[in-house]
Amino acid sequence: MRLLLLEDDKILGEGLRAFLQADGHAVDWCQRLAQAQALRNEPFDVLLVDWQLPDGSGVDWVRSLRARGNHTPVVILTAHDLLSDRIQGLDSGADDYLVKPFEPEELSARIRAVRRRAAGNASPQLQFGDVAFDMAARSVSLNGEAVELTAREWALAEALILRAGRLVTKADLESLVLGLDGEVASNALEVHIYSLRKKLGRQHIENSRGMGYRWVSHG
Amino acid sequence: MAERLPSIRQRLSRTLIIVSVVWGLAVAVVVGVAVGHEVDEILDDALREAAQILLPLLATDAFNLTMGDAQTLPAAPHKEEVVWQVVDIHRGVLLRSHDAPAHPMVAVEYRDIVKASNGWRVLVVEFGKPDRLLMVAQLGSERREAKVEAIEYTVGAALLVGALCALWLRSRVRRELLPLTDLKNAVAQFDPLRPGAHMAQVSRQELLPVRDAIASLGARLAARVTHERAFAAHAAHALRTPLAGMMAQLAAAQRLCPEDAQPMLGLARQAADRLRRVVSAILTLFRSGSEVKWQLVDLAALLPQLQADDLLVSVELPAELAADPNLLAAALANLLDNALRHGATRVRVEVRAQDKGFSCLSLQDDGPGIPEDQRVALQSALGAQAYQNPVGMGLMLADLVARAHGGALRLPPSATGCRVEMLIGPGPTAAQTPSLPTQPPLASRW
Repeated sequence: MRLLLLEDDKILGEGLRAFLQADGHAVDWCQRLAQAQALRNEPFDVLLVDWQLPDGSGVDWVRSLRARGNHTPVVILTAHDLLSDRIQGLDSGADDYLVKPFEPEELSARIRAVRRRAAGNASPQLQFGDVAFDMAARSVSLNGEAVELTAREWALAEALILRAGRLVTKADLESLVLGLDGEVASNALEVHIYSLRKKLGRQHIENSRGMGYRWVSHG
Repeated sequence: MAERLPSIRQRLSRTLIIVSVVWGLAVAVVVGVAVGHEVDEILDDALREAAQILLPLLATDAFNLTMGDAQTLPAAPHKEEVVWQVVDIHRGVLLRSHDAPAHPMVAVEYRDIVKASNGWRVLVVEFGKPDRLLMVAQLGSERREAKVEAIEYTVGAALLVGALCALWLRSRVRRELLPLTDLKNAVAQFDPLRPGAHMAQVSRQELLPVRDAIASLGARLAARVTHERAFAAHAAHALRTPLAGMMAQLAAAQRLCPEDAQPMLGLARQAADRLRRVVSAILTLFRSGSEVKWQLVDLAALLPQLQADDLLVSVELPAELAADPNLLAAALANLLDNALRHGATRVRVEVRAQDKGFSCLSLQDDGPGIPEDQRVALQSALGAQAYQNPVGMGLMLADLVARAHGGALRLPPSATGCRVEMLIGPGPTAAQTPSLPTQPPLASRW
């Protein structure tokens, strides 16, 4: 998944970015609201937003996002732990609220949960014909047989199945998988798509030539 | 249970009753003495009057009268209130009324009023010649009867007035103490932390300084609580974010580090997690203070959230009690952490109902336990709230939480391991305690 991490604390921001990247996510880390604002046209799977930022309130920013019709899932990360704070945070339009300090594994689970819910799937198990994904265990099987995916292949598959049935442009797919900092060779995406098709079956990933890719459920 | 204190109303009533009785008795004594003296004077005057009447009557021809039986003057039998004798100092009684004795009522040497040994009060006057005397007497019992009647009426009246006064004062005191009840209600409703809060006015001058003192105390406490809350809010942010950063860095390092460094980073993460729990507990306790938010807590649901990986916690069901879930979680997290640090691998938790609505939440672990002398010293320190050595952070927090719930922490002797008991007060009535839903909402049921 491609995540936007909006956290001004350097140690926490670096730690979370490293952990989430190790977890297979593409993470864009901003320490200011202004930086995040500059990325408003980038596609993100989940926004991780601190409440108190040097140039404003993360909760107010989330409220303004929702007012503009942006429905990207948001998890508030904050030291505010009062009940009234949680209510205010969730009522701003956030999908989840995590009080610091927290275990990064819990944050990972919450990211998967809010993204799943945003895609309309309550269960972490997704079945697409002969292919079954377990989003929590990060595993995939074809006709009941486990299939080994590389981290990049998994990220690519995740980006597509979370948008199953919708066309994802090549640029969006690259940014969802790699983030802003990722460097990729010009044909790297095609290479990974080829590899994924080979492992899961060509029929699942449809190519709209010159536009992008679409995950097609053959169930 | 609070000790029953003396009641102002009862003390005043008792004092008034005692004063009334003593006053009645004192008045009776004074009246008795005064009335006795006056009765004596009146009756002595009556004796003299009788003597003045008898002297000329008897002087006319008394000795020629025909005597009745036993040398008494003839008269129809009747009860004589006053008796008399004419006595010759050499020959004895010459004449007498029929109830008078046959011998002189007093020795012939006496003159004027004399109190005889047999109770007669006798007036002795000379009768014509120095060797002839007239003795007029009255029974002493008549005088005593008059005095006793006077005293009885006086005591009765005094006691009646005293009793009526006591009843009146009791009712009066009750009315006069009503402003104290009003003040109590005003204090109960007084929340100095509420903006613009003020104590209600009092209706008695004497209560004004009390009201002012309470309002002043409330203002001081409110200022302190506000200060502490502000500090807690800042401390929460100042502690939570770096701690979260440390945990994130350690988690990332564990993901990325070589295999042989994993155990060290695992231990570092455990330490960070313990620090997180302690900090959370301290912040929760610090911010909550004594404000307990009572609700029904199910320990079977709460404990798994607090459990450390290396400690097996079992709960004796049912394990529900009324308490503040956040405070209780903070205390339990520290007690479980204590058990783990002191070598326990299992902890058994149970809740037992106690007298007067109290609950006893006990944790029994399988660790090496506490030496008896240390246990006694710890219990003594907890009892005195002397939280310096030897009481550690976990026990102190648990004791503070128990005390915030109207109870205390106890360390009873235990044959094996260590046993810690949190006594939790009854809290608000059951009707006021929000309860957890026993079943999920209908929409979520299978």
